[in-house]
Amino acid sequence: MNTNTAHSSSFRDPSGYIYIENDEVKRVINPIYFKQYNALTQSGFYKKLFKNGLLISHQEVSNSEREIIIKAEKIPFITYPYEWSFNMYKEAALLTLKLQKYSLEHGFSLKDASAFNVTFHKGNAIFIDTLSFDFYIENSPWRAYKQFITHFFGPLVLAHYHGAQQLKLLSNFIDGIPVKMISSMLPFKTKFNPLLYSNIHLLAKLEDKHNEDYKGEAKVVASLSKKGQLNIITSLYNYIKKLNLKEASEWGNYYTKTNYSDNAFVQKSGIINRWVASNKLKTVIDVGGNDGTFVRKIESNLDLALVSDIDNNAVDFNYKTIKSNKETHILPFTLDVLSPSPAIGLNNKERDAFIDRISKFSPDVTLALAVIHHISLSGNVPFSRSAEFFAEFSKHLIIEFPKRQDSWVQRLLNNKADFKDYFNFYNLENFREAYSKTFDIIEETTIQDSKRVLFFMKIKQ
Amino acid sequence: MYALYFDPGLGAMIVQAIIAAVAGVVLFSKNLMYKIKLFLGIAKKTDDDVFDDIDIKDSDIENKNSSEH
Repeated sequence: MNTNTAHSSSFRDPSGYIYIENDEVKRVINPIYFKQYNALTQSGFYKKLFKNGLLISHQEVSNSEREIIIKAEKIPFITYPYEWSFNMYKEAALLTLKLQKYSLEHGFSLKDASAFNVTFHKGNAIFIDTLSFDFYIENSPWRAYKQFITHFFGPLVLAHYHGAQQLKLLSNFIDGIPVKMISSMLPFKTKFNPLLYSNIHLLAKLEDKHNEDYKGEAKVVASLSKKGQLNIITSLYNYIKKLNLKEASEWGNYYTKTNYSDNAFVQKSGIINRWVASNKLKTVIDVGGNDGTFVRKIESNLDLALVSDIDNNAVDFNYKTIKSNKETHILPFTLDVLSPSPAIGLNNKERDAFIDRISKFSPDVTLALAVIHHISLSGNVPFSRSAEFFAEFSKHLIIEFPKRQDSWVQRLLNNKADFKDYFNFYNLENFREAYSKTFDIIEETTIQDSKRVLFFMKIKQ
Repeated sequence: MYALYFDPGLGAMIVQAIIAAVAGVVLFSKNLMYKIKLFLGIAKKTDDDVFDDIDIKDSDIENKNSSEH
């Protein structure tokens, strides 16, 4: 046996496991999966998926009777389903169906359809579980069907009816949202839609009924032709492809709403460009980056720009822009600074917390433009605590401080009504003093025609 | 044989035959409606397609340039 310890998320599938060695992602394949692996390799199945960018590529590094080891292409930053925007989620669902159809046509079948088998890399959804493919057995139903419903179809339909926040549910249900719960949350009218009725309500009913069939008698009965399975997959694909958010597009043009004169905007991006270029910063996280407008204003070549925002619609807008521009260096995802994604799963180690992932990735610079007033005033977070947060993951910080006179700040303060006085701490001096404890302030520039100040800071050694 | 390492759900296995039949009807009728609309000239052209069709096309594979492989 290999002496390397398996990654903490890699224990369910006996076919093999993942481990990290010298910062490389490797996968051990056990003899139980040799037959499948060889068939997938020799038939050119893997290769075709690599070439289409649908499956993460790998190379074989060793091959013995006891184990085969492959090295997978590394993805710098993994996002989880509960961090995706609506259309990202859709793309991941469609990718899974596309792979299942392709598998069926080539004598294979996906043995699981977990949403965690997909992540985003270079502007596209990509399947990362290389060992998920098994041989298709004639006339057998799709084993992963229920998982597809609880991981993909259910959350998407819920989001359609109740808003994109529903997509966060998966962080509480690591193995998918229970079908019964999905069924109970959907409006009554969905029972009259044949596709929703059969795939969700009827499924919930039958799952309930067979819950106590301990002998597994029904296994013998269950059979489904390949044509039948393809019908299910194609109909789900077509349905999901057309699915949209009811609440969508209320997210208007943020940059016309903010109190920036064009001049201030140009000035701001000029300053940021200078800082990024002169310090040769290659990786960025933009916290509260909206639709990625600012990251796109950076002229020097970035290796990877993570753009996070609390607003699913803004992230979605960014994602669509990435798609239409075919950009490969921007990765959008949702992030609530006041409550970043937690670590979940067995031992709290299956899916990493946001802070752990971002610390490991350690971007060269954090951009925090027009967010500190939201964190401080809406979130009641003292400056020292937000400084602590920003100091957690990157060496440099570009942060914009809107002064008390800024109209947004005024608006937030007015919302506080009687407690307005409590927020007297919110001023430039206190900000500077608190952040100086964790960071060295390298440069400070007031943006003309605005009530805002830009800071370039470096973490204290 | 499959490695049965997770529970596929018994009900979910049985119900697929029914769902497949429903899906067959849905696909058939949608296709029929589309053809009728096409005939009458009222079929909408699909615009702003971010997502492709379900099929992985062989021609795509040839065209896509992949430096790693």
